[in-house]
Amino acid sequence: MANTIPLSPAELSYLHTSLSQTPPIRPDGRSPTQFRPLVAETDILPSANGSARICFADGTEAIVGVKAEVEKSSARPGATTDDIFKNSRDQDGDVDVDREESDKEGKGRDEWLEIAIEIPGMRDDDSLPVFLSAMLTEALLSDGGLKDRLWINSRFHWRLYIDILLLSQPRSYPLPLLSLTTHLALISTRIPALISEHDEDPLFNDDWEASTFLYPRSGELQARSKPPVTLLVVSIGEAVLFDPSRDELAVCDSAMAISVAQSAGAGLKVVALRMIDPPSRLTAGGVPQVLNSTSNPAATASLSPAEALVLREKDQGQTVWRPPRGGVRRAIISRIIKMVVENNGVGEEVIAGLAGVEA
Amino acid sequence: MQADRRRVNAPPGGTTPPVFATPSNTPIARPVRSRQPDEHRKIFLRTGFVPSASGSAYYEIPPETTSQSKTLLIPSSSSLKITCTVHGPRPLPRNAAFSPNLLLSTHVKFAPFATRSRKGYVRDSSERDLGMHLESALRGVVIGERWPKSGCEVVITVLEGEEDGWWGDAQGAEKSGGWGMMGVLAGCITVASAALMDAGIDCVDMVSGGVAALASDERGNGTRIVLDPSPSEHDIKAACVVGYLQSRDEITEMWMKGNAGVQTEALIDEAVKAAVMTRSVLGEAVKESVELKANHTDRNVKEKGSANDVTMTG
Repeated sequence: MANTIPLSPAELSYLHTSLSQTPPIRPDGRSPTQFRPLVAETDILPSANGSARICFADGTEAIVGVKAEVEKSSARPGATTDDIFKNSRDQDGDVDVDREESDKEGKGRDEWLEIAIEIPGMRDDDSLPVFLSAMLTEALLSDGGLKDRLWINSRFHWRLYIDILLLSQPRSYPLPLLSLTTHLALISTRIPALISEHDEDPLFNDDWEASTFLYPRSGELQARSKPPVTLLVVSIGEAVLFDPSRDELAVCDSAMAISVAQSAGAGLKVVALRMIDPPSRLTAGGVPQVLNSTSNPAATASLSPAEALVLREKDQGQTVWRPPRGGVRRAIISRIIKMVVENNGVGEEVIAGLAGVEA
Repeated sequence: MQADRRRVNAPPGGTTPPVFATPSNTPIARPVRSRQPDEHRKIFLRTGFVPSASGSAYYEIPPETTSQSKTLLIPSSSSLKITCTVHGPRPLPRNAAFSPNLLLSTHVKFAPFATRSRKGYVRDSSERDLGMHLESALRGVVIGERWPKSGCEVVITVLEGEEDGWWGDAQGAEKSGGWGMMGVLAGCITVASAALMDAGIDCVDMVSGGVAALASDERGNGTRIVLDPSPSEHDIKAACVVGYLQSRDEITEMWMKGNAGVQTEALIDEAVKAAVMTRSVLGEAVKESVELKANHTDRNVKEKGSANDVTMTG
């Protein structure tokens, strides 16, 4: 996918120049922080605890199903149930004020969450699905709140399976699509209400109407807690672009995936950040005019390879396209983080937009 | 019940290994960081140890010797041993598609005995993930367009991986967030960079890896940022690895995990500081290998000069 960019050096150069203007001129006329239009719906799969479907304007489409299963917790060596109880009482102090929540704190375990990504035309051990699922998993886990909510009692827990299915060929980097769909599916995820107490074998209310949301929608503190979203951001020169299309990815200097989550009672925070190897590094560079053997064959024929290399380096990608070298400056990274996290920033806008999606 | 009454059946589920009660008079103490928060562990780095590869390097963070008496079997500190070989640049196979640039591929593998829980022979997802990280760190520095139609393989074997948590902490062993991986990635970036230099592949700069973590402060309630954390010594909240080009002041790879809150940028800056420290070691190692090579060729030239008429014919 990545190494077949159907663009010539001249086209790449044109794209790069227009995108490094201030303000950048994007091929589809969007502003730097604007996302492509999308169609979204939730609660589409009757047999899943939560589900969502998102279709981007370029035709890429993904379905996510979330399934929860009760599983017996394996005993931790060294920690008996008495210990667990004692600890929770110690932390709690004397009063049982919102015992429900603080009880679960720090008890969740990483392996209770399982993410599987299916991308057509790729094996599951290909690097792209592995990378994507690692990225989505670490964002969900570093949030902390989610895995703690999977704890039922000291003997049982929920195991959450998040199955991500990309229905179309991946046209651009599928990360934003998959992440937004997962976010929607998790928001709509409901788990049956627990009616047993303490360490009994868990017994659930079979009334689906009584089920609770995994990410609670009402309540004072919990209302603002939201699953993370992962945004794809590219930098081109000084410009920072959100939700890049395939053409924009082909000329970017650097690409990074930044996951933000909304915690209870607080603003957005960065929970994970990764740089992505941009496909622009695989593009073919152009030939500068001084080395053009068609227009001045006499001059170029006499050049030794070393001289040709010097001439090519001198151009420095000024007159023709050259694949980007090096990395990204720290100033740009901190600018990106600020744009995502700040009040009324991109992160809030995306989360608010997704909250408006109806079943 | 269709259990066979004639024999003693194994328990139906998995078993947990026995945990021996510790005598109450020897409390298992978590190892304490004896370094300053901004002090890196000592690094051993040497290039050119595999003669048959075009470039190779060995990286080691030796375990710190502690003055504590060894009353327990629990190792008090973790160490890191990584080898890296670079093969190439060499032509792509004839049936491969045309590539205008050098195709760099990375392959990170833990030895089965490298970590506390055994790793299989087939690369698992965390190893593939490390490979992707390393690839993005190295692709930024290698000047790929100078080798069209060629490939280059960077093969890394981790002989001893960093601990993910503290051995004595039974819960920590399971709920650890894989912080050891981040130290391993920083080591991989540095050692791969040294091996690329050894192979003589054109790069824009030397990339060096650095890691910093936001850990809870043992003395107070707050948190502090530590360079080069040894996961057994800290209760880590968030960590950041960077692949940093010092002379260009650029970052080719960054991997941040965990909730650093408002200290996100400080964490990145500290990781860069760690990378700068690693770079001084990397620079020395590369210089050493260049001097060795230069001496070697000098001597060869002299020897050839003195005995100049041994020529093979035929």
